[in-house]
Amino acid sequence: MMIPLDALWFLTFLGRLHPMVVHFPIALLIVALLMEMMTLRGKNENFRGAITLLLRLGAVSAIVSVALGLILHEQESYGGELIEYHEWSGIATMLFSLLAVWLNYRSNKRSTGVNLYRIVLGLSVICLTIAGHLGASLTHGEDYLSSTFPGNGDSHEEGKAGELLAEFASQSPTGSFSPEDLDRLNLEVRAIFAHNCYQCHSKEKSKGDLVLQTKEGVMAGGENGPVLVAGNADQSEMIRRLLLPRSDDESMPPKGKTLQKNEIELIRLWINQGAHWADKELKIFREAELALTKPELPPAEDGRENPVDRWVNQYFQENNQDWPETADDRTFIRRAYLDVVGLLPAPEQITAFTEDNSPDKRAKLVDQLLSDSTGYTRHWLTFWNDLLRNDYSGTGFITGGRTQITNWLYHSLYDNKPYDQMVRELIAPNPESEGFIRGIRWRGTVNSSQRTEMQAAQNISQSLLGLNLKCASCHDSFISNITLDQSYAFANVFADTALEIHRCDKPTGRMAQTGFIYPELGEVEANTVKERLVRLSEIMVKPENGRLARTLVNRLWAKLMGRGIVAPVDEMDRIPWSQELLDWLAADFRDHGYDLKHNLRTIMTSKIYQSVPTGYKSENDLIVSDYRFRGPVQRRLSAEQFADVFSQAIYPMYHAVAYDPEGDTLEAKWIWHREIKLDRDVLPEPGKRYFRYLFEIPANKEIVNAELLVTADHSFHLHLNEKEITSGDDWQEVHKADLTGKVAAGKNIIAAEAENEGPIANPAGLLVSIQIEYADGSWVRFYSNNQWKTTDTEPKGNWRTLLFDDKEWKNARNYGDFFNGKWGRLPAFTHKKQANPQPPVRASLVMLDPFMKALGRPTRENVTTNRDDQASLLQALELTNGEFFYQTLRKSASYWLKISEGNAQQLQEQVFLRALGREPTGKEKAVARKLLTDSPTAENVEDFLWNIVMLPEFQLIL
Amino acid sequence: MTHETTRREFLKKMSAASLGAMAATIPATSFLSGCAPGRKATADAVILLWMGGGMAHTETFDPKAYAPFEKGMESKRVLSTFPSVPTIVDDLYFSKGLENIGQVMDKGAIIRSYRAADLGFILHTRHQYHWHTCYEPPQPIQPPHLGAWIAKELGPKNPAIPAFIDIGQRFTVGEGEELKAFHSAGFLGSEFGPFFIPDPTSGLESVRPPAGMDLQRFERRYKLYRELAEKSPLGLHGSDYQRESLARSMEQAYRLLKSPEARAFDLSQEAPEKYAIYNTGRFGLGCLMAKRLVMEGARFISVTTEYEPFLGWDTHENGHTRLEKMKAYIDGPVAQLIRDLDETGHLDRTLVLLASEFSRDALMEGRPGAKIQDQVDQPDVIDDIKHYGMHRHFTDGCSILMWGGGIKKGLVYGKTADERPCKAITEPVVIDQIHQSIYHALGIPEDTHYVVEGRPVYTTPDGAGKPVWELF
Repeated sequence: MMIPLDALWFLTFLGRLHPMVVHFPIALLIVALLMEMMTLRGKNENFRGAITLLLRLGAVSAIVSVALGLILHEQESYGGELIEYHEWSGIATMLFSLLAVWLNYRSNKRSTGVNLYRIVLGLSVICLTIAGHLGASLTHGEDYLSSTFPGNGDSHEEGKAGELLAEFASQSPTGSFSPEDLDRLNLEVRAIFAHNCYQCHSKEKSKGDLVLQTKEGVMAGGENGPVLVAGNADQSEMIRRLLLPRSDDESMPPKGKTLQKNEIELIRLWINQGAHWADKELKIFREAELALTKPELPPAEDGRENPVDRWVNQYFQENNQDWPETADDRTFIRRAYLDVVGLLPAPEQITAFTEDNSPDKRAKLVDQLLSDSTGYTRHWLTFWNDLLRNDYSGTGFITGGRTQITNWLYHSLYDNKPYDQMVRELIAPNPESEGFIRGIRWRGTVNSSQRTEMQAAQNISQSLLGLNLKCASCHDSFISNITLDQSYAFANVFADTALEIHRCDKPTGRMAQTGFIYPELGEVEANTVKERLVRLSEIMVKPENGRLARTLVNRLWAKLMGRGIVAPVDEMDRIPWSQELLDWLAADFRDHGYDLKHNLRTIMTSKIYQSVPTGYKSENDLIVSDYRFRGPVQRRLSAEQFADVFSQAIYPMYHAVAYDPEGDTLEAKWIWHREIKLDRDVLPEPGKRYFRYLFEIPANKEIVNAELLVTADHSFHLHLNEKEITSGDDWQEVHKADLTGKVAAGKNIIAAEAENEGPIANPAGLLVSIQIEYADGSWVRFYSNNQWKTTDTEPKGNWRTLLFDDKEWKNARNYGDFFNGKWGRLPAFTHKKQANPQPPVRASLVMLDPFMKALGRPTRENVTTNRDDQASLLQALELTNGEFFYQTLRKSASYWLKISEGNAQQLQEQVFLRALGREPTGKEKAVARKLLTDSPTAENVEDFLWNIVMLPEFQLIL
Repeated sequence: MTHETTRREFLKKMSAASLGAMAATIPATSFLSGCAPGRKATADAVILLWMGGGMAHTETFDPKAYAPFEKGMESKRVLSTFPSVPTIVDDLYFSKGLENIGQVMDKGAIIRSYRAADLGFILHTRHQYHWHTCYEPPQPIQPPHLGAWIAKELGPKNPAIPAFIDIGQRFTVGEGEELKAFHSAGFLGSEFGPFFIPDPTSGLESVRPPAGMDLQRFERRYKLYRELAEKSPLGLHGSDYQRESLARSMEQAYRLLKSPEARAFDLSQEAPEKYAIYNTGRFGLGCLMAKRLVMEGARFISVTTEYEPFLGWDTHENGHTRLEKMKAYIDGPVAQLIRDLDETGHLDRTLVLLASEFSRDALMEGRPGAKIQDQVDQPDVIDDIKHYGMHRHFTDGCSILMWGGGIKKGLVYGKTADERPCKAITEPVVIDQIHQSIYHALGIPEDTHYVVEGRPVYTTPDGAGKPVWELF
């Protein structure tokens, strides 16, 4: 239908009448139903006529409402599910009410079918209620109602106004208060101020010149004069304003929720009692207890001896919950492997485990896994790197503003260093562990809340104590009791010269004190930073600091069970679902010398760890404040686990590491032709480059062994003395060649051509090492370096000969050491003897790449304690279409075709066994057959492998 | 992270396009306005043309007195090394070499008084981080890129085109890690992060099944995947979050990769004459791809001349010579992009910006009066053309161009001094105003924020900054 433009405004106007008109059917139909209910059992028959009238008016107004509503929808372009539901329930209301009118008419006439009519009327009111609620949600927002529920938003959750009022009313009927009572009264009033008024009336922001945070501020009042008259609430401006209707401009608070009645009453009482100001710190937010005592274990029931199980059993009983089922052996062994070493059990290990009949086989398995120090370290390194903000690449390295702690961390885990010792070494560091408190230093001036001293305070608080200092490094925290001064005092511990306190990046003129957040643990002040750090490291690990142990065991629990005893894991002041369990685990950890493996063992040998995990609907379900523990929750493989498990079961995914604990020391460099644009070194353009290098062997030496190592990005052909030695087109694959007999006494010439591929300039390099051993036991090495000659124009004549004139060629450019280029370190690039085949490179040692990033590995620019583990579109794209993963699949396919000799059935069974730890079911075999066909091509195998690793069974930790 | 703006959620459910159409045709009736949210968007897509490396305003869009090169000239005389040329807008002059862009200024506005932050001595990537996230690095949490905020708040316009596309930047260059630090969705989660196309000529590959896999095989692989997963003992779907999100994301990726809209990524579909106008290199072709993507329903696209230390706009020597090339690199494609969008009517709903992290000057490093380390040596007397140009970093006066999406046409906003220091002297504009102006055009409320680690984090620090109203 075409509507002239100038008529549209009228439609809009009509549409907007809808919210007003809807109140007619609401009132009329509900009253009709109410009156109808009064006529039940034959009473109030005289209502009949009125009901009919109400009903008919209601139905007519429903029609009008629906019509106006449809216009509004059309005109204002609402969208979404909510509006759909609202529309349908509105239309249903109209239809039911019309039907009710007709049935009512019929039953009035014939005096039958009255019950059907009542049901239909009831239905119309039900639909009406739904439509009304949805309509209100559209107008006011979906959480209009629910936001008032306790625990939502920043409502003052633990407010005790009501309780206190009742208590005082019963205790002090005469109105005389003890000094303690007056203090409590004042502190509660201040808590009410803090939650409802500080937003505008604090030291940071004092609207109307009123500060409600301090005694002076409250007593001084604001620009309109005093806010209270001590002893006389009725004369107090504050009470007047609080009681004003919301519509009044002077009503307080102007936005958000009004104060509850008993909160106002409590303020009134406080003023009437003389507005006493307690000389105590106000603790607005819950604070967890610092001290730690080991609670007495409950008795074991039903053979559940493990301490964790005893607490969980008690918890389940108190909450009337059943124990979840125990996972079967296959599930358990896979989970235990993934949790301790981050790899899958081999098929033989699964069989042996399931066939083992000893009752303690699960505990034995856990012990055996924990004793695999290499596997344990290379899996848990990821957790600690996240927690301690340690990475191989990232901001800051370029200007020397950041150092790694990798070597220290790796060996600490490998040696199972006690956690308190680790903490000491992190806080009072040695050169290898200082990267943690040194933070990331950027060039130029940074916000004062991000100076490295403050970063140290923030990171120690977050990582080691589960305490957020980030707010309080700018201003007094709104989410904890930590003040700006406390944060600065803590940061000052790390400062050579005392820090000036900055509020919101503006200097305050006050100098910071020096002290730890929990002064009750001891004094840290000393003359030098070094001494202070030693003191801090000592008080941090005092047994009285229960927070240190609680924070860590909670993190480990969350890692193994999918959700912490306290969540989020960085907010240790929150209420745990079981304080006793948390305390017991923490105390047990402390009493066992802060042995990390002991704690893991305690949890993993419990029945609850070994249970079938429960699913959940959304991430929110795990952080709600009334969370109920039901058992472990389902987890997904981390980026590193996915890569490692793929490498183990399918084909090695990575070949180069950023850190190699057993690294060789070679002096080979990645080299390439020097490319210059506008007088600057730039990335190499695609194309072929030529390299020559001449080396000499003394005539009096006898060669017993000569070995070549070579690789290039992207491809190369290498000749020695005019003979082709080897070629390659994958830089990750190190080519080894035996040159014994090929290297001659006197001059030798290496000639290599290498190509940089791709559409645009990108990194390229050639890497060579030659080791020559002589009969007399001495040896010599020749490396690729900037002494090599290169050219980018195709040489004329035989350029691979010794005598070729390369005077015009330029010296190559070094692109980095063999262990530290853009390519990382290739563990296979070594002249040492190695196991064959070498175990795949572990992802935790690999530099962050786009593939792992897509799978959720964080850039460790900040402490990361909670990874995004849901599957996302970008992730699925990387797995479905990413170049890196696709190339990995291609290599995997050719490997699998080779080892299965093209036998589809064998291939299928082996892949199932290695990737999923089981044989395929009949149904799966049928699908696999479709994928692989009888004589599979490389493409068939690629697709089959892709299918297997995309399965939920592969990607989830069950 | 919890979300606080429910009103915004509600807005998201409304189709911005038809809302805009309504606003354009109907006189505002404010009856019962309490029942209907009142913000209207003037744009639903953004193209950011990024001049990485620090583009000197006096050599481009804000020319000053021209001092031709002569041996022995004094450095302090050098304000502009090019003569000025008129534009289509009266009294608006650009530097020589930008004639084509000058001809489309009747369709857009120029801000001449942008002031970059003073971050101490210069690290380009720090200023770029600040420009793109509105937060000065480092930060205790990872702030999202402008494009990620937009992707999060508005979602993709066409589900088959990623909401945040970044064209032209490689991370294998110097300061690569610092570049990565802000090309990120930060705390919003990687789902809203950039979809990278470093080389526009191979853009199609990013949205097509892998090379060597035809569509038929791709479809078959996915079909059998679903079959295998459903027949496996665990099943594909389940009541739990993990399995559901996995199944859903796989389905989305599959749909995206076989969608017909992916053609927009294929530059070979463009007529050769048009392709030739755009083809000044990767940046020009990036503009062409941005045009194609916007027409197909992209939300936020960034096209960069690419930042690589000492290259591109980052002139530490030979400034004059280099600028000739840089201007030729951008002039044709940018003007053509504006014309093409205008002709098809897309410019009305697409906000195009051209900006750089800061400006440059021949003598002044940082802002007037600041003492900066590591500034380039500049002789008092110039004997070599190598020293003729803007080789120091200047933050106190920069130009930003804007077109379309509700931006006033032919507007010149703000002014810089005609003598050194050529700094902003009227209507200074800072970064949070730029961000808020962009959000304003898109209908994203100024106070949009999320609670991260217990504290509210706004699109601009503390939600500060007002849109530059005069632009609209």
